Amino acid sequence: MVDKSVNTAALPGADTIFRKSYANGSTCLAYPNPASPAVYFRGYLPVGSLSDPVGKNGLSSLHAAMLSTGTHQHEFRELHALIESCGASISISSGSLSTIFSGQCLKEDLPLILGLLLEMLSQPAFPQAHFERLQQQLATLFKIQAQNTEEMAAQAFDRLYYRGHPYAHPEIGYPQTVAAITLEDLQAFHAETYGPNGMVIAFAGGMESDKTADLFEQVFSSWHVPFQKKQVDLPDWQPHREAMREHVAIPEKSQSDLIIGTTAPTGMSKEYHVCSLGNSILGQFGMMGRIGESVRERSGLAYYAASSLDAGIGPSCWKVIAGVNPDNLDKAIGKIKDELKRFISEPVTGAELSDVKEQALGQLPISLESNAGIVRFLLSLQRYNLSLNYLRELPDILESVSAQDILVCAQKYWDLDSLVITSAGRAL
Amino acid sequence: MQFKGTKTFTGKEMEDAIARTGGYSNAFTSPDWTAYFQTLPSSALEMALRFEADRMVNSLFEPLEVETERTVILSEREGNENDPQFLLGEAVQQAAFKQHPYRNEVLGSTEDLLQLTREDLYGHYRNYYQPGNALLCLAGSFDMDEALALVQKHFDPIEPAETVSSNPTPENEITSSQRVELQGPDEADYIQIAWRSPRASDPDFFAYSLIESIISGPSTLNMFGSGGIGNRSSRLYRQLIENQLAASVYGSLSASIDPGTYTLYITCRGDHAPEEVIDQINLVIDELLNENVSYEELAVALKQARANFAYSSDNITNQAFWLGYAQSFADYSWFTDYVKRLEQVTSEDILRVARQYFDPARRVTGIYRNRDGAANG
Repeated sequence: MVDKSVNTAALPGADTIFRKSYANGSTCLAYPNPASPAVYFRGYLPVGSLSDPVGKNGLSSLHAAMLSTGTHQHEFRELHALIESCGASISISSGSLSTIFSGQCLKEDLPLILGLLLEMLSQPAFPQAHFERLQQQLATLFKIQAQNTEEMAAQAFDRLYYRGHPYAHPEIGYPQTVAAITLEDLQAFHAETYGPNGMVIAFAGGMESDKTADLFEQVFSSWHVPFQKKQVDLPDWQPHREAMREHVAIPEKSQSDLIIGTTAPTGMSKEYHVCSLGNSILGQFGMMGRIGESVRERSGLAYYAASSLDAGIGPSCWKVIAGVNPDNLDKAIGKIKDELKRFISEPVTGAELSDVKEQALGQLPISLESNAGIVRFLLSLQRYNLSLNYLRELPDILESVSAQDILVCAQKYWDLDSLVITSAGRAL
Repeated sequence: MQFKGTKTFTGKEMEDAIARTGGYSNAFTSPDWTAYFQTLPSSALEMALRFEADRMVNSLFEPLEVETERTVILSEREGNENDPQFLLGEAVQQAAFKQHPYRNEVLGSTEDLLQLTREDLYGHYRNYYQPGNALLCLAGSFDMDEALALVQKHFDPIEPAETVSSNPTPENEITSSQRVELQGPDEADYIQIAWRSPRASDPDFFAYSLIESIISGPSTLNMFGSGGIGNRSSRLYRQLIENQLAASVYGSLSASIDPGTYTLYITCRGDHAPEEVIDQINLVIDELLNENVSYEELAVALKQARANFAYSSDNITNQAFWLGYAQSFADYSWFTDYVKRLEQVTSEDILRVARQYFDPARRVTGIYRNRDGAANG
C-alpha cells in the first residue's frame, strides 16, 4: 500500500551541505531551500549556565536576555524597530552548555539582520533601566513558575537526579541568586566569555549556500576576541544508585504532573540509536507507545503520557512523563512501573521493532520539510560531531539494531530500584 | 472518539499505520469547525484518504471507549484549569457573548463532560460528519489528477445526508462595558480585555488585523511552524513593558465565521495593580481612536504581514491548513490574496474601523487577582 523505500541520495549529504570553519573559530553551515522566500537561522556560542558563578545562578540566562536590550549603535527601541519593521525576528537565550540564538527574515533582509545579530552578540550596551526591568520581569516569572505543576515537577526532578552537578540548577536561576546579580557581573561575564571562537550558525532558506557563506564571512569574520575564555569543563558525575521520591505540593491545582526517570546514554554514544528506538516503543510510537496505550488509552488516567530520551552532551536522562488527576497519581505510577518491568524483562517484539525503524526512516524527509527542520539537523551534525553523510548512513545504522540490543540497553539504564520520581500538584 | 476505531480499522491500527510512515496525525477543534489532519510521505496519500473517508461515517463510538475517553478529556481540562489564564479566558469569553455559542469553551465544562452520553456524541457525529458538510484540503508533492482520482475513489461511495445546523444568530456588538474578576493562588495578576472583531469575511477584517499589528504586534500565520514576529515595537509593548508596568503583553485575533473577539493578554508585575495597567492601555486605545496611524506604521505592518505570509508557506501542513481555514469562512482566495487585501487598507480605514470596534464602553475587561494582594502597590 505504501512505498517505504527512502531515497537516501536525495537526503542532505557532504555534496549538498555547506560547512566551513573560519580563522576566528566560527563555523557556518548552510543548506538551500530554493522554494522558500525566507531564511531561518539558528546557532550557538559555547557559553551557558555552566559558567554561572557560585551564588549567581541565572547569570548566563539574564545576560542572554540583556543582549536584546540595545547595542552601542542602536538603543532598544531603534534595534527592535529595525528588526520588526522588516518582519524579522532574533531571539537569544541561554541553556546549560551554550547560548542559543535564532531568527528568520525575508531573504533580502538577511544582511541587515545578521549585522544586527553581530551587534547584539558583540557590542551590547547593558542599559541600566532595562536591567532593572528584566530583573522585575524575572521576579514575576519566578512567582508564576512556583504555581506551575509541570515546571515544579521538572525542577524537582533535576534537583534530585543531577544532585551534585550544575544541571541540578534551573538555567534561569533562583529568585535570590538573580537578585544578587549586578550589571557589572554581566559586563564582566560578557568581556570574558563572549567571542566567535566555537560559535556555530546554520542557515536554511531561499538563498544559495555560497551567497549565505559570503554574507556570513563578510559580517562575522571581523569579530575577534583575543582572550576569549573557554567554557568550564563539564564536571564528572556519577548517576545516583538509590530510589528518590519528591512531591511538590501546590494547593488548588486540578492536575498533577509526574516524572519518572533514570540514566541515559549521551547523544554521541553508540547506544544512542538503540535507546532511541527503544524509547519510541516505550512511549512515543502511535499514540505515545506502550506507556500511552496503558496509561491513557486503556486506563484513561491521563491526557498525556509518554517517554522521552533526553540525550545530550553531558549527563543525560530517560524519562516517562504524565499529567494525571491527583487522585490517580499512585495508580499512574503503578501502571508506568508495570510497563517498565515489561520493558526490561522481555525483548520488544519483531513487529514493534519493525514499526519504529520504518517510522524513523519515514520521518527523515518530513523532518527536513521546513527551514527550521533543516537547521535543527545541521546543528545536530555539528554539536554531536556527526558525518555530513549521517542521514545517508542512518538507514544502515537503524537496520543493525536488534530486539536483544534494546533489551540489553533497557536493563542497563532502567534500574527500577533507583528510579527518581517527582510530581507536583495538590498535596498527597 | 474519532481515533478509537471503525468497523474496518481499530484506532491503534490507524495510528500505527500513520506512524509507520514517519508521519503524524491529529485533530483540533475551533468554535466553528473540527479539523483532522495527517502529514505523511506522499507515497502514503491513498492510505490517508482511506482512513479519513472511513472515519467520516464508520466510527464505532463503543460505550466502553466513551468512558475511557471521558476521563482523558476531563484530565485535559484539569491540566488547563491549572493555568489562571485559561480560567480567566473562559470567563471573559462568556461575558463577551450573551447567547452565541462562541461563549462556550471548546473543550466543554466539567459538568457537560460528566453528563454527555454515548448517544449525544453519536448523534453529533451522524449529523455533522457528512460529505456535504466536509472540506478536504491537500498540499504537497503529488500529481493533481491522480490525487483527485483517489479522492473520488474513497469519498464518492459515501452516501450524502442532510446536516441539521443550528445557525446561531451573530452577535455584532458587545453592548456594554463589562468586568469579570477571579481570584486565585498567589502568583501574578492577569488582565484580559476583549473587543468584538468583525467576521473574517467582512472587508473590515483586514483593517482590523493591521490595527492588531500596530497595537499588540502581528499574529503569526504559522500555526504549524517556527514562530512569527516579535512585538517589542508595538504600541502596547512600549507603553506597558518599557514603562515597567507589566511583564508581558500580547494580542490574539481569530478569523471566525461570525463576529468574534480580539483579546489582549497581560501578565502584571507585582509592583503595579491591574488598574494602573488598564489606565495605560486606555491611553493607547485613545490614541488609536483619535489619531491617524502614520504612513510609516502602516508600511511596517504591511511588511510584517508579507513576511508572516512567507513564513506560513514554510511547510505543507500549514499550507493545507490555511487553504481549508480560509474556505471555512470565505474561500481559499482569502488567504492567497491576503497581502493584496492588506495593501488596499488606508489610514482612514483604520481610524474608521477602530472607532467602530474599540469603543471603551463596549468591551469586556477580565482581571485575575492573586490572593496575596499585598504584592501590588
